[in-house]
Amino acid sequence: MSPPPPTSLGAIVFLAACSTEFADPGREVGPAVADGAAYPTEVHTPTTLGVVDTPLVDVNGTPIGVACATCHGPDADSAWAARPGEPFHTGTELDHGDLACDACHDPADRGRLHLADGRSLELGDTMQLCAQCHGPKFTTWQNGAHGGMNGYWDTRRGPRLRNHCVDCHAPHAPQIAPVTPMPRAHDRGLHGEE
Amino acid sequence: MQAPPTVPDVAPTAHTRTYPQFLWQALRVATDGGLPFYAWMTALTAVFLVGVNAFAHQTVEGLALTAMSDHVSWGMYIGNFTYGVGLAAGAVMMVIPAYLYRDEAMHDVVIVGEILAIAAIVVSLAFVNVDLGRIDRIWHMMPVVGRFHWPVSMLTWDVVVLSGYLFLNLHVVGYLLYTRFLGRTPDPRWYVPFVFLSIVWAVSIHTVTAFLYSGLGGRPFWNTAILAPRFIVSAFVTGPAFIVLALQVVRRLTHFHVGDPPISTLVAILRVTVLGNLFLLGSEVFTELYSGGTHTASARYLYFGLHGHHALVPWIWSAITMNVVAGALLLSSSARRQLWRIDVACVLALCGVWIEKGLGLIVPGFVPSSLHELVEYLPNQLEWKVTLGVWALGLMVFTIGLKVAIAVFSGQMHAQKGAA
Amino acid sequence: MDDTSRRDALKVGGATLGAAAFARALAPLTEWEPTTSVDAFLQRHYKELDPAELGTILRRLEDETLEDYGASVSIEDVRPTPGVRFGYALNLSVCIGCRRCAEACHQENNHDRPSHQSYIRVLEIDKGSIDLEKGRTDYDHAVPRGDKFYMPVQCHQCDNAPCVKVCPVEATWKEADGIVVVDYNWCIGCRYCEAACPYHARRFNWEKPEIPAEEVNPDQAYLSNRVRPAGVMEKCTFCLHRTRKGKLPACLEACPTGARVFGNVLDPDSEIRWVLENKRVFVLKEDLGTRPRFFYYFDG
Repeated sequence: MSPPPPTSLGAIVFLAACSTEFADPGREVGPAVADGAAYPTEVHTPTTLGVVDTPLVDVNGTPIGVACATCHGPDADSAWAARPGEPFHTGTELDHGDLACDACHDPADRGRLHLADGRSLELGDTMQLCAQCHGPKFTTWQNGAHGGMNGYWDTRRGPRLRNHCVDCHAPHAPQIAPVTPMPRAHDRGLHGEE
Repeated sequence: MQAPPTVPDVAPTAHTRTYPQFLWQALRVATDGGLPFYAWMTALTAVFLVGVNAFAHQTVEGLALTAMSDHVSWGMYIGNFTYGVGLAAGAVMMVIPAYLYRDEAMHDVVIVGEILAIAAIVVSLAFVNVDLGRIDRIWHMMPVVGRFHWPVSMLTWDVVVLSGYLFLNLHVVGYLLYTRFLGRTPDPRWYVPFVFLSIVWAVSIHTVTAFLYSGLGGRPFWNTAILAPRFIVSAFVTGPAFIVLALQVVRRLTHFHVGDPPISTLVAILRVTVLGNLFLLGSEVFTELYSGGTHTASARYLYFGLHGHHALVPWIWSAITMNVVAGALLLSSSARRQLWRIDVACVLALCGVWIEKGLGLIVPGFVPSSLHELVEYLPNQLEWKVTLGVWALGLMVFTIGLKVAIAVFSGQMHAQKGAA
Repeated sequence: MDDTSRRDALKVGGATLGAAAFARALAPLTEWEPTTSVDAFLQRHYKELDPAELGTILRRLEDETLEDYGASVSIEDVRPTPGVRFGYALNLSVCIGCRRCAEACHQENNHDRPSHQSYIRVLEIDKGSIDLEKGRTDYDHAVPRGDKFYMPVQCHQCDNAPCVKVCPVEATWKEADGIVVVDYNWCIGCRYCEAACPYHARRFNWEKPEIPAEEVNPDQAYLSNRVRPAGVMEKCTFCLHRTRKGKLPACLEACPTGARVFGNVLDPDSEIRWVLENKRVFVLKEDLGTRPRFFYYFDG
């Protein structure tokens, strides 16, 4: 039962509230939930990393992706990358501050990333990389207040799936593009609609 | 109408014979009259039936048939409910002179006001009922069997005061007519306390109705302490204005004696209340428009239109014009020599307040909505039909009540010799 | 025939005609199906039902949904969990106004399809103001626009709820976990709560909702998303059919930016508590004293 509201009618409201108790008090609340986090919170693994689309399409019209390592080997870039007018990365818009490719990509192995202190990272570890610059956002994310989630708010009762930074933000152009909103309600009387 | 437990000089057992006799004769009187009476009642019945039919459609297909929406969720019906309560409360303006100031001339015709109160309450209750989404669940509101959310919900207060006022007036009217029917002098102990109670009660019904709206913090247009005083004063416009007209109709069409003094008294009251109503309205308008800001959006919408929406602007300015002209006519005319000008003023005041308290008060409370969406409202044909049907019902109640009262007062209806 | 009896005959004739006309006027009522049975008509208030009675009612409502909508559904009575008080916060800095929350609500809560109703309304407001008068809900252009911010509004589950106060029949009340619910089978449809709500959070069923069978969400609860009858009020219940089982509300899952944070404010480790303690949160129309359990905040 909530405390009575701090109005001059508080006492009356409280009295009335008392009169609205359940006839069967056992029905007022359900069973308690046992303590302890039983289910994991997972972070979604991005599936689009390490591949770049090419202008080529397969028989179904799907763009053919090419792994970074195809051109950017561990030792040196292959002849593909050196080809003048190469078609790769043309779809890659770089709009991420003043960052150069090598600010994140390992110059020695473009299929890997590196932190500011030089430590090498797997492509899948982008989160740590992003957090270097976007600390407060990362803190917010860690506290469940950024990036969205699915599943259970109560992890004692079920698992939760969190989004990864790059699920929403393209690493090369992290600003989210405008979207078309979903349709609004056609209210009775609103703007001539019945 | 209820019989009193005892009337001093009639044996208690006699009432079992005389009271049914009273009801039977009342029924005969109610269905008997000249051509104008039949024409009038037939017309009212026709309008009433149109309303009943519209209401039946609305009940089956839902309130979707009305022009109301989630944005303007009350409209014509609740506006008329408010006006009806005012009419009922205003009838007390005959009772106060008659009983508090011992105005003998008014005392002779005060029953007209009491019958008006009954008819107006019937109208008000009917308007609340036609506005319900689930009239089949009305029993949920009954104390004990339902869950009557009293005293927290102002709507439950309204049910209490409206039913109370209805019963008070039914008792007073029923008692007075029945004792007259028996040829006895009414015993003051059996009705004077109830009359005095009804005076206080009349103020309460319209105050509580105002509190329905003024208690809502989320609707700044209504959330004003001046609302209850405005309601009371405008009630004291409509009640007397209606009675002035009704008394003249009675005087012309029946043998019931209606002298000039009661009309003069009511006109004197009207001269004050019409101006008082305009003054309160002006105070409201000033406060809203001078301060400005988001909270005054409804007032701006009502008087001038907002963002290209101005459905109510012609209505409210018509209402203000009618009230101003009514005030001017009342102040400049003699009730004795220029009664027709007074009559015009009464009609204008009735219409003016009807707009002001109906569409002009209820609808702007919702425009713009609490999220500042602008959805306009004007009643549609179905709502007009139901509304006119309810008023026709009220006029039938009023007509029959008057007819029976006049028959009793003129001696046309009396207990058979030997029965009493 | 003397005058009196002729008059009486005329009266009887008139009365007969009148009665016939009255019956004719009321004829549409023969198609009225307000309640399907005497049981439904006499059904008592939710709080007065014992578990057996409630069980019977739930099965009856499931049968009605099958009959009226052709959908097999399960209607449960999900009760609050002890030690849980819900809170909801929304980050206005990241909301882009895409109305995905409103859409998810529309589908999750079995709203009327033709009107595309939803418990959530998204306002597009000029930056530099939180004056609702400077907001619009009818935008259709691509979002977000740089000069605007977006504010979804739904039921704030107020602790001092005006809607609960005004209800004349106690058809709406606040539950132990803070959710304001409606007994759709007790509401009389007077719409006083709709007038009282400062957040446009309540909706009225102006007519019977229309939903194709395949679109009916079968996972339903008595106090939340079961298909509502005509003529009664409805409102957001923080998806209690989900949240009381530990799940996140549908609007939160649908949010593509993670602007929404939901949880148990009594749990000091919960996300909602972190937001309330670390962000500068505010409530809408705080001056009205409604004490909402729905909070807004900006990053910063």
